[in-house]
Amino acid sequence: MSSKDVLKECKNINKEYNYFNTIASDAKEGSGKLKSYYISVKDCICVKDMETTSGSEILKGYKPIFNATIIDKIIKEGGSIIGKTTQDEFGFGSFNVNTKNIPKNPFDKTRTCGGSSGGAAGITQKASFKHIAIAESTGGSIACPASFCGIIGFTPTYGLVSRYGLLDYANSLDKIGIMAKNINDIELMFNIIKGHDKKDSTSLNLELNKDTKIKKIGVIKETLNVDPEIKDLILSKLDNYELVSLPSVEKYSLATYYILAMAEASTNLAKYCGMRYGMHEELKGNFNEYFSKVRSNFFGKEAKRRIILGTFTRMAGYRNAYYLKAAKVRTLIINEYKKAFKKYDLLVSPTMPIIAPKFSEIDKLTPLENYMMDIMTVGPNLAGLPHISLNVGFKDKMPVGIMFIADHLNDNKLIEVGKKWEM
Amino acid sequence: MGDVKIGLEVHAELDTETKLFCPCHTHGSDAPNTLTCPICLGMPGSKPVLNKKVVEYALRLCLATECKIAPEIIFSRKTYFYPDMSKNYQITQYEIPIGSEGVIKLENKDVKLKRIHIEEDPAALTHPSGMQTSTYVLVDYNRSGRPLLEIVTEPVLESPEEARDFMKKLITILNYLDIFDQNECIIKADANISIKEKKFTRVEIKNITGFKEIERALKYEIERQKKEKVIQETRAWDSDNGVTHSLRAKESEDDYGYILDSDLVPIEISQDYIKKIKAELPELAHEKIQRYTENLKIDPMDAQVISSDYQLAKMFEKVSENVSPILAARWVRRELSRVLNYAKKTLEEVKITDKEMSDLLMLLEQGKITQQTAQRIIEKLVEKQFDVNNYVKENNLMIVSNAKELEDICRKILKQNEKIVNDYKSGNEKAFMALVGQVMRETKGKGNPKIINDALKKLI
Amino acid sequence: MKIDKELIKRVANNARLNLTDKEIEEFIPQFKDILNVFSKISEVNTDNVKVSIHPIEIKNSMREDIPEKCITQEDALKNTKHKKDGYFKGPAAI
Repeated sequence: MSSKDVLKECKNINKEYNYFNTIASDAKEGSGKLKSYYISVKDCICVKDMETTSGSEILKGYKPIFNATIIDKIIKEGGSIIGKTTQDEFGFGSFNVNTKNIPKNPFDKTRTCGGSSGGAAGITQKASFKHIAIAESTGGSIACPASFCGIIGFTPTYGLVSRYGLLDYANSLDKIGIMAKNINDIELMFNIIKGHDKKDSTSLNLELNKDTKIKKIGVIKETLNVDPEIKDLILSKLDNYELVSLPSVEKYSLATYYILAMAEASTNLAKYCGMRYGMHEELKGNFNEYFSKVRSNFFGKEAKRRIILGTFTRMAGYRNAYYLKAAKVRTLIINEYKKAFKKYDLLVSPTMPIIAPKFSEIDKLTPLENYMMDIMTVGPNLAGLPHISLNVGFKDKMPVGIMFIADHLNDNKLIEVGKKWEM
Repeated sequence: MGDVKIGLEVHAELDTETKLFCPCHTHGSDAPNTLTCPICLGMPGSKPVLNKKVVEYALRLCLATECKIAPEIIFSRKTYFYPDMSKNYQITQYEIPIGSEGVIKLENKDVKLKRIHIEEDPAALTHPSGMQTSTYVLVDYNRSGRPLLEIVTEPVLESPEEARDFMKKLITILNYLDIFDQNECIIKADANISIKEKKFTRVEIKNITGFKEIERALKYEIERQKKEKVIQETRAWDSDNGVTHSLRAKESEDDYGYILDSDLVPIEISQDYIKKIKAELPELAHEKIQRYTENLKIDPMDAQVISSDYQLAKMFEKVSENVSPILAARWVRRELSRVLNYAKKTLEEVKITDKEMSDLLMLLEQGKITQQTAQRIIEKLVEKQFDVNNYVKENNLMIVSNAKELEDICRKILKQNEKIVNDYKSGNEKAFMALVGQVMRETKGKGNPKIINDALKKLI
Repeated sequence: MKIDKELIKRVANNARLNLTDKEIEEFIPQFKDILNVFSKISEVNTDNVKVSIHPIEIKNSMREDIPEKCITQEDALKNTKHKKDGYFKGPAAI
């Protein structure tokens, strides 16, 4: 398939499904390990001279003057970048509805792709050409859409992949990851994009555990409290497992995650105020009036919600009870996982408690109900643990995902599971 | 005393090659927005990386001021909105400053320091038609991201003069430590001031540049507080008009909502690292005083004065390599200061370097010119720079030390002044001086006094 | 702690967001619910527990004081219309 045809297919798919915010005008073929691969990039990752909006109106028209580190790596290995995929504004959402360009589920157009990397998952399922999607996860934004779209979504250990050039949602939670239809492509891309980057202070300079032996699997007891069909799909696929209880994860990971994520996000989004880049207004009035005008006009509702909640949780008088407390509870949650990993090589749960809901159902949800959809994925994301969502079957003709979680730096075990997986 | 309470919050730019969190040059171009990158412009997706040198320089100051040093430092985000902010949060140190509980010793007082911490500079704002009337601002991000040390005193200063002395001393220390370049780096202060008469209601004065301005601003503010009603507020110092004026009262105090900056990581400050920096510390003022008095044997008062001024100390040390330190000290401390005061100039303003001083003092020490000649030369040097040796030669200022030549002159004078000779012979010491004076006049002041003395005595 | 119009307005102001009365009305019950869930963490005993800045321990990332090439003035100003004579233009600062 020529690159011209690939881009044509993208345009056609886009007309029906809205997976792309931007489609490249040309996609030159390169040479290297990614030769003949077409790569889509989530719209929160900087690609030089290509519009990068992070799904937000406030960055409409913004074209970065630099590439994210991983983009340079991909280009160096000959990957062709075909476009920027749609997402919830700044990553704020689990259904990719918090943005103008809402992607539709490849299996059923009345349903969501999941979020926030909805477009990436959609095109991964739909593309007929050799394609790998670069996506990003803060609280589950790779696993969730992967699960809803029936493809593989891999989120590495926090810090393994450089965040330089990633528009921040939450700095201690954001991870760049990969979506693809087959595990070998995931492995290929992982080996290219991972590695220490001196431009990212949080970039790890550590070796991955080479041992891929999986002796013991623990299914997280508290996550089985879901639709019995989903539960059965999960358990029937496992040869050998034990039940393990993670009570702190179950009770507190959602609150802890959202407090920290929103607090960090509210500071990350402070820079969007109509100066130097992004949407502007006319320079009238004093600076407070100007900034408020731009921000109020161009941030979406969910962004405003999270900015306000995030600002609140770090304000004097509330900071101790919310922000600092959550930062401590996070330690306890990580410890709980670490304890489990002393016994088990992998932990397992359903990726999502439900199949992809219809847009009409999503409209009826309160913000809190939206947040609670992340109940399975926030735990590993909060703890920076690598995790992978694989397709485990179908319910009501919609894909169901199973999620494997490994300890820090044991990403290779997840690749190994993916390789052994048969669907 | 005790009627005035002043605390200072000083921001000093550090003299590093690159900025605090990005590898942009700190200096080297005046054109706006030419020393920038995605990081100091706050472009989305960019990330900060800490400059090692800044930590080292901060530790030098902490050691020099006897601070407690944090074993691990972290950075925080201070979120507020202003047109000079590249991210609308400043990366600073809130929870744990790198240094705390230090001291800067003035002549009559130990000024306690609350904290020393590292933070980044915002951009430079200009108001095209003045702050009050501009409808927009112009922003230059060359300054954005430069490394700053913030030095906060306890509110223990008791007069504008004391505040000025503190600033001067701080600048000396910063110069000494080689972490601050007076010509390139800016030093600014915010001052908190309150007076007893108004129940110590505290007013903050922002953005005062340099130690002379500190004294001016605080003097003005004390007078203003005595005359007017005082409310707790923030005021700006208007240097051009010599007044402070109220910054528009905000509806609510901005809550900075501090969180840890998780784009950055904790930095361990080990005891070994501290030891290494301590060993590499340039010599400090009190160490210089000790060395000057004990090793170089100069007058303690001279040592004190010289060491308190970084430029003078540098000059003195260089010159002492060429002439006796005692001579060097006397001339650097007294003669040089005398002429500078008279001309109302500072050492930085005149072009007298250690070369001119060394040349001059070597001639003096070797007896080739007289004290008077030397004094006249140094007066001239204040006006413009010239090569001392050439000047002396061209103007024939060398002392005549030819014994025979002088002896001849003496004989001549003695012959011409028989009466004075007789006066001397009958016990009038002053007569001898008159004879010496005459010989000197004959030699146009260039006669070697000792030889003249000896010759006259011999001949009489 | 009361979640009311005043509090939301104050926080929104701090974050430079203008909210309509309708938006505030909408947010009040939503925030009440959310903060209710957030407050759950108060039951956790965190005595002597350290704060997690990152989920995995990372320390001592620094760089040498060596300059690299800066971007051009043109590139710096590329993404905005608000510029003049090489400067960025911003809103009035009083």
